[in-house]
Amino acid sequence: MRMSDGQNGYEMPLHPLVQIILSTDPGIRNRSLDAFCAAASLDALLMACEVLETFRRQRDNLYERVRALFFLYAIYRFHLPGKPGLRQRSLISYEGYSHLLQRRFEEAIDLFLDAQRREGPSLGLSSALAAAYHRLGFQTLADQVRHSVRSVRGNQWMFRAGHPMDHPLRVRPELLQPASGGLFPILGEATPVRMDLSHSGWSDIFFLGMDFPEGARVLNVSIDLAIHGRDADPRPPVEAYFRVIDEPVLRLASVDLRARADVTSLAGVFDFARDYLGLLKAALIAAGIVPSGMEGSGERLEDLLATLVGPGRGIEIVSRVNGIPKGSRLAVSTSLLACLIAVCMRATGQTQSLVGPLQEYERRLVASRAILGEWLGGSGGGWQDSGGVWPGVKLITGELAKSGDPEHGISRGRLLPGHHIMGFDEVSAETRQRLQDSLILVHGGLAQDVGPILEMVTEKYLLRSEAEWIGRQQAMGILDEVAALLRKGDVRGIGDATTRNFFGPISTIIPWATNLYTETLVDRVRAEFGDDFWGFWMLGGMSGGGMGFIFDPRCREAAQTWLLETMRGTKWELETAMPFAMEPVVYDFAINNVGTVASLWEGDDALMPPGYYTLVAPALLRRTYQTLTPQRRLELEHFGAACRSRSEFAGVPQVLFDNLLPRWRSEEGSAKPLAELLVELGFDRVQHEQIRTDLREGRIGLAQNRLPASTDIRDAEVSDVVAAYTCQNEAWEEAGMAALRSGSVAVVTLAAGVGSRWTHGAGVVKALHPFCRLGGQHRSFIEVHLAKSRRSGRLAGCPVPHVITTSYLTHEPIRDFLRRQQNYGYPGALYLSPGRAVGLRMIPMTRDLRFAWEEMPQQLLDEQAQKVIESLHAALIGWAEQMGEGSDYTDNLPQQCLHPVGHWFEIPNLLRNGVLARLLEAHPQLTTLMMHNIDTTGADLNPALLGCHLLSGKTMTSEVIHRCVEDRGGGLARVNGTLRLIEGLALPREEDEFKLSYYNSNTMWVDIDRLLQVFGLERDDLRNERRVAEAVRAMAARMPTYITLKDVKKRWGHGQEDIFPVAQFEKLWGDMTALPQLACQYVVVSQMRGQQLKEQAQLDGWLRDGSAAYVDSLCDWA
Amino acid sequence: MQIVKSVITAAGRDQRALPLQRLIDRDGVEKSVLRILVEEVLSAGIEEVAIVVAPGDEGAYAEAIGHYARQAQFILQEEPRGYGHAIYCAREFVGDASFLHLVGDHLYVSRVPGTCAQQLVAVARSMACPVSAVQATRENLLPYYGTLGGRRVPGRRDLYVVETVIEKPTPTEAELRLMAPGLRPGHYLCFFGMHVFTPSVMQILGQRLADAGAGEQVDLSGALAELARREKYLALEEQALRYDVGVKYGLLTAQLALALSGNDRELVLTRLLELLAQREMGATGDADV
Repeated sequence: MRMSDGQNGYEMPLHPLVQIILSTDPGIRNRSLDAFCAAASLDALLMACEVLETFRRQRDNLYERVRALFFLYAIYRFHLPGKPGLRQRSLISYEGYSHLLQRRFEEAIDLFLDAQRREGPSLGLSSALAAAYHRLGFQTLADQVRHSVRSVRGNQWMFRAGHPMDHPLRVRPELLQPASGGLFPILGEATPVRMDLSHSGWSDIFFLGMDFPEGARVLNVSIDLAIHGRDADPRPPVEAYFRVIDEPVLRLASVDLRARADVTSLAGVFDFARDYLGLLKAALIAAGIVPSGMEGSGERLEDLLATLVGPGRGIEIVSRVNGIPKGSRLAVSTSLLACLIAVCMRATGQTQSLVGPLQEYERRLVASRAILGEWLGGSGGGWQDSGGVWPGVKLITGELAKSGDPEHGISRGRLLPGHHIMGFDEVSAETRQRLQDSLILVHGGLAQDVGPILEMVTEKYLLRSEAEWIGRQQAMGILDEVAALLRKGDVRGIGDATTRNFFGPISTIIPWATNLYTETLVDRVRAEFGDDFWGFWMLGGMSGGGMGFIFDPRCREAAQTWLLETMRGTKWELETAMPFAMEPVVYDFAINNVGTVASLWEGDDALMPPGYYTLVAPALLRRTYQTLTPQRRLELEHFGAACRSRSEFAGVPQVLFDNLLPRWRSEEGSAKPLAELLVELGFDRVQHEQIRTDLREGRIGLAQNRLPASTDIRDAEVSDVVAAYTCQNEAWEEAGMAALRSGSVAVVTLAAGVGSRWTHGAGVVKALHPFCRLGGQHRSFIEVHLAKSRRSGRLAGCPVPHVITTSYLTHEPIRDFLRRQQNYGYPGALYLSPGRAVGLRMIPMTRDLRFAWEEMPQQLLDEQAQKVIESLHAALIGWAEQMGEGSDYTDNLPQQCLHPVGHWFEIPNLLRNGVLARLLEAHPQLTTLMMHNIDTTGADLNPALLGCHLLSGKTMTSEVIHRCVEDRGGGLARVNGTLRLIEGLALPREEDEFKLSYYNSNTMWVDIDRLLQVFGLERDDLRNERRVAEAVRAMAARMPTYITLKDVKKRWGHGQEDIFPVAQFEKLWGDMTALPQLACQYVVVSQMRGQQLKEQAQLDGWLRDGSAAYVDSLCDWA
Repeated sequence: MQIVKSVITAAGRDQRALPLQRLIDRDGVEKSVLRILVEEVLSAGIEEVAIVVAPGDEGAYAEAIGHYARQAQFILQEEPRGYGHAIYCAREFVGDASFLHLVGDHLYVSRVPGTCAQQLVAVARSMACPVSAVQATRENLLPYYGTLGGRRVPGRRDLYVVETVIEKPTPTEAELRLMAPGLRPGHYLCFFGMHVFTPSVMQILGQRLADAGAGEQVDLSGALAELARREKYLALEEQALRYDVGVKYGLLTAQLALALSGNDRELVLTRLLELLAQREMGATGDADV
């Protein structure tokens, strides 16, 4: 293959990577990047990057640009860092980082490439370039999806209509006339949800469908649902209602989220995150009732409504999902969006018929509008998610873009797929029944964040990594197999195929699709039911939420009961380790062979569903009757009559009564009250009140965390650190091994924190999270750390004492878990060091919220997502004002209201709680502790590092790593001339951090006796509680207190979660290095050793760049 | 193709006074709306005019058209069964001939020499097929008009082959099914209220009326969609503007349009300017300056 150089006209051979991108031959096109990179030298990779960079800038074709961008990302992220000769120390410019935050990716790339040309390639620049290319790749894809959604015919006009007088829609006359002297008619839409019968290998991600339409195929079944044991019969789970009202407002209500609002301005319609009604608002916009073009027009909503329904009138939209929990992986929210859009389109004459099913082109339009609505709401699913709009069983496939499509010439496939409905001649009624009789659908209860998974799938597809690409081919084969088995009516065969799919291709493409909970369940089902268990089937992006188990129909009933019990039991065992959002449920389901359907209720029947009245009636009843509009009065009369006469309204008066009267707190739950817990945990009320006063008076806060602006911050020199990652030092090794053999070293794993970022404030114990499959099994952080100590002990011939520090939140779970796991068979002494300090979270000051969101650099999101987050921020500032700034945060489970007070306390706790004393008593030869964070998986008792520490004679040796772009939070610096670790939140200016080459890994080697001296103590003092307490208090007073904002989740309803920012205080260990009497040395270690796993989204890169294998090599599994 | 007959529909039950409204025509003479329309059709070589009216209106309408009443006959639409039915009432008048059809509540102002009816009839004669006059209309006005989709006749910028017709479409339907080349975004070909039909339209209307239930309304657009499926049917984008006198300020707008394109253009412009100036100055208290 050759191409013109574009300047001199002669042809030059194509670079092999460009060949891969341009080739139409699948044999070349589907070659993996890894194969090329593995054999290439550093120079060859840099040359490839240069070629790809030029190539991607020259090409117009979406696919070619995006694939080049992902190649560039992968080379900089995974391949360059491993090549010998790459410079380790470097600085990343703050300007470049700011560009990244502001989504100016091209500018960031230019800047980083300039730096690379000037200074040569380096680890830090590689990481920055990788981040920029990665985000630019996804931005390019998102732009294309947005462009396609807007250019779909039937959607374009909504972006042009900018004035109420321009509005081309009118509500249909059937809905405008109340029955004589009666109520306005109500149009109701009922929509099934969809289940993905094969698990499509995520091939319904938009980009996959648009680039690889041949591989984008899904077997999608529309189903009705019921919660087993709660509901009578399966019914379409999603409902939406539309009616005209006699007030000029948009009245929105979500029966399930217990939310309602009267929107009175156009701006209010576009404010998605203000309340729980964002989905309804997105539907109103996507259906064209409030066209997108009206956003920011400054016009009056009242005028718009006058055009639509006449002066003085408005529209009411009500949604209901019949208590189906969130995270079911049945696309409930997309189905609801589609349902709402369908009812609004019908009401405004955008469909042929007001009631009954939709025509094919109308279903396609609803699906495309649902995609638009998801984009508006800042979310996004796959293209199969509106499948419930169609009836029965269908094969949905990607379609090649043809001339006339907006995608033609840009991508190979169209945005919207084609739907082939499999009729009863293809899948017989008997087979459908058999499927219903065999399959048990469940929600395992696990909370899930599938966003990162969808990005991983796209990335891996583009890179054609060998194992994943083979997996994709296999998954496509299994889909064909399932379709054939369906035609044949072989349900048992389907079970076998879906099981193979899950444990084979799905787990290969995305290892994070499975987890300990799911696999434990499958094992238990298999053990209990043997041959009668026909197969497991995963729904959607991750397992643990919506799942399917296929049984011999004879056992189905027993299996339903057994499965519910077993899920509950397994959840109980794992709930402190994994983020569960709700109690597991089992569904009853039935295949829906009609698709979405609308009905019209008129006259006396024109009432909303009963749940609606339990939501709105209390407020109406509190108002004077005369202040209600005539329609409201009439409606209340009809509602009253219905309560007396209609069976579906039978229990409503009781619920209404309950809602009207306040509830006694003790009725609400059995958890230990917060006040009791605070007393039990030794909460220091005096200190808390002092912090509150300081916070409210502005003496402490996010801005006050910072050192004065005049502080001199400089980078550490090379001579300030010991480069331990490069040199093999025999003397260190020898000294270290000797110390290990003599049993003079112990490990301290800091596990008091809850890892807010790991589960976004879910309050589970990160230390126990079975985060990755290592050595063939899912392993928790604690197990990994113990396995490393086990190996060190074995090599030294002397078991290593291991201490795990805990806090009020983590102590009991860790203790019980270790007990159940019998300490993972750890041969050495294992201590838990319980925390002695606890804080009570506070409602943040709006000053601090504004500082965090407006003054500190924030990652700007995609256009629409950014609007949503800004609206959310405004809502949260309102929440803080309403709740009272600086007041105690108590509106959550007691455990979620408390916080650990920073890892500084974890070492003094060892002194105060007697664990160090006991440790030294049992192991008097102990001289050194290696303490590390729970998420520093690569930290082990490396003999050379230990020797380096011992031979230095310092009190502490602190490990640092070369900074990469994602390493935020301070580092090693000369602060006013003194070398020390400094926290990111203490740096006077944001840009100061980018002057620092070394990042704190928070792994420290500590000389016990010298540290005690710093506290003014000796070993013998450790038994003297008072003395120790005084020493700790005196030291604590010298340590700065930081105010931080942390996310905390509040769970409610059926799997719903809200995240609130709360204020808490912390003291951090790194500040000890500022003490003149604490002699400290700094050693630079490798990334693999020093990197910390803060977010689950890091895991895939960690697995792929060899870090996981490195950790595995440090472990002896029991 | 001979076109010597014309049918004007003015049987709308809620707009019975519209054809009687009086305006100053371009020639400076005061006339009723209906008379202006009759003059329009006669300008195109039409010899016989039928006006479809609601029972009881014939006397007043005859008076409104003055001496033209001699060339016109009034046909009664006994029951209000829609626009399509009103045209169908003239089936016997039309017989086997092609005919020019106008609605009774629109007025037309040509931007080129010759009337709108003349332009349309000329095209229909030369193309020997039904032709509807259309105007590129912004999508916000779709709720008021029958709208069509089609492709251009090769070599003509103003002539389209009609492929489908939808009565008062939503913009969603319009984007999906009524695209026509050469129009600005958000613009569609909407009926002008003036057509030349062949007798097959009457056959289609007859069939649709027979298929409809008793008392059910039948519109024209559905019949025209059927016509487009059956035979060659064209649309002419006229060099003209139409004014619906039935909408809010419709009569006033139509009057201004007629006046500004007629003999009294200078006079009317002066009056308008005076009006504006007095109003503005009055508002600032400078009326006497």
